[in-house]
Amino acid sequence: MSLTADSPVHSPSTSSEDFAAFLDAELDSASDASPHPVGEEEEIEEEAEAEKDDEGDDTNDYDLDFERIKRCKVEILENLSEVETTTSQGVDIQISGASSDKDVCVHPGVIGGLCIRCGLKMDDESGVAFSYIHKNLRLANDEIARLRDKDLKNLLRHKKLYLVLDLDHTLLNSSRFLDITIEEGYLKGSRDDLPDALKSSLYRLDSMHMMTKLRPFVHTFLNEASNLFEMYIYTMGERAYALQMAKLLDPGDVYFNSRVIAQGDCTQRHQKGLDIVLGQESAVLILDDTEAVWGKHKENLILMERYHFFASSCHQFGFSSKSLSELKTDESESDGALATVLKVLQRIHNSFFDTEHSASLVDRDVRQVLKIVKKEVLKGCKVVFTRVFPTQFQGENHHLWKMAEQLGATCSTELDPSVTHVVSLDAGTEKSRWAVQMGKFLVHPRWIEAANYLWKKQPEESYSVSNSKDH
Amino acid sequence: MFFHIVLERNMQLHPRHFGRDLRDKLVSKLMKDVEGTCSGRHGFIVAITGIESVGKGLIRDGTGFVTFPVKYQCVVFRPFKGEILEAVVSMVNKMGFFAEAGPVQIFVSNHLIPDDMEFQSGDVPNYTTSDGSVKIQKDSEVRLKIIGTRVDATEIFCIGTIKDDFLGVISDPGATS
Ligand SMILES: [Zn+2]
Repeated sequence: MSLTADSPVHSPSTSSEDFAAFLDAELDSASDASPHPVGEEEEIEEEAEAEKDDEGDDTNDYDLDFERIKRCKVEILENLSEVETTTSQGVDIQISGASSDKDVCVHPGVIGGLCIRCGLKMDDESGVAFSYIHKNLRLANDEIARLRDKDLKNLLRHKKLYLVLDLDHTLLNSSRFLDITIEEGYLKGSRDDLPDALKSSLYRLDSMHMMTKLRPFVHTFLNEASNLFEMYIYTMGERAYALQMAKLLDPGDVYFNSRVIAQGDCTQRHQKGLDIVLGQESAVLILDDTEAVWGKHKENLILMERYHFFASSCHQFGFSSKSLSELKTDESESDGALATVLKVLQRIHNSFFDTEHSASLVDRDVRQVLKIVKKEVLKGCKVVFTRVFPTQFQGENHHLWKMAEQLGATCSTELDPSVTHVVSLDAGTEKSRWAVQMGKFLVHPRWIEAANYLWKKQPEESYSVSNSKDH
Repeated sequence: MFFHIVLERNMQLHPRHFGRDLRDKLVSKLMKDVEGTCSGRHGFIVAITGIESVGKGLIRDGTGFVTFPVKYQCVVFRPFKGEILEAVVSMVNKMGFFAEAGPVQIFVSNHLIPDDMEFQSGDVPNYTTSDGSVKIQKDSEVRLKIIGTRVDATEIFCIGTIKDDFLGVISDPGATS
């Protein structure tokens, strides 16, 4: 039963009610340093309307008279303050409503229908919604810029940058109960029967009908990263899920505070944008396993190798091999993706705050630092591709070519003594045989991909190329 | 501001409650129905303090339910523009902070926090003066002035300021006494 629907019979003749209405109007007008004609009128009209509902009551005439007097009073007050403005300032008659205020409010943002600066009722839907901070918060672009600017200076003083973290496949992996395979069935059993490593990282979320496995090393990762970064969670998952995951990752609520962004908060469908992150783009790093969603911010992104613990996750991405859960194993704690990327983050952070740097802190750009650090990985390698691209394909447009270059390698189509690596899918090609003859490294394309994920040149012998005729 | 006022409400009661304790049943149902609710006009109904009168019941056609008009005294809470309130800080972020005065939520944006108070992120986000003498964090008690109110059917939301004389922290949970 809602209160307003079958609302109590209003009895406007009650003296206390008149008093409330009177106070409302009085306080509104009296306290008003900057009268808001629109808001005021609305308020009074409401009152008058409510009064009109009850007809034939003797006291009603009195009420209406009373309203009229009140309204006059308000108008007089407004006129008075207007006169004051014009005489004191003398020049600008235009800003009549602003009275003694130094400046007219530009309404930098709206929360719950009220301007965050002057408290005026606002009903327009302009600006960018920041629903993850408050369900009804919208900020104008200038205000966002102001907040970012202010926040960055504050953050740099604390020697920190921003870090935006994806959830699924980056920090954890989830599976619905009904997708749990028979071989994974042991996960659903009693907690005491689970292997020790799982006891502290596998969660059964009955209310959401799913299980979540945290990626090995995640707690250490968050703890260490929180010293270097202000962290956000940014997921395409639903809000309820995101908050639940935040609770698992951050039970003490010290890492993320209210900085959890979920699907409904994005301003563009199927895209993650930094527009709703209150951090300067030049100071943001992103960890995510999906590149495509960061269309506008690829330069901020550190791509993560996907974490597939559950079978359903493997299937979803088209792997037919057994999942980690089915094999009863897991990614390495000390040597896994999160441990690796933490070292990368530390390196970038160090380099950003390097005192040798000539530019002042606010002018530095973490995206440039990211590029430079990445170029160290395959520095000094000269790579020739064979049997990797489709025939007729322009090599320099291929993602592996670009990847190798981003990692600091030089790519070439011609064989010459300066070539260090031949990348091939087939050991039988002419270029592959040349490599073997000349004592150059002959490696599988995965050698480049592995270097890309691990931020480190990998041992060539682990990426040998088989002869296609062997198959 | 609190008011002690008389309100009226039509209460529907199932015939199984008719008997000696009909009035008690009405009153307890009334309390359950209205205490803690909010009406745009009066604000939050904090507590019922007495029953003025219970009118004649009217049988509803078809259902057997009976409607009684009940007049009751109650304490209501309604913030006004310009009012000074004491509130408890519930959340602090780089935009400002949220505070609660009973059921009323108030937002104080950093435009309305004194300029010498800076936001500090970290485990316990807070606003602190440069000399560290004044700190606003979760659970701090603050005195603030309401500069705007939005009263809906179910909630009251306010914008407040602490950028004025005699406003700001009253107690600091960080300073253990
Ligand atoms: Zn405004």
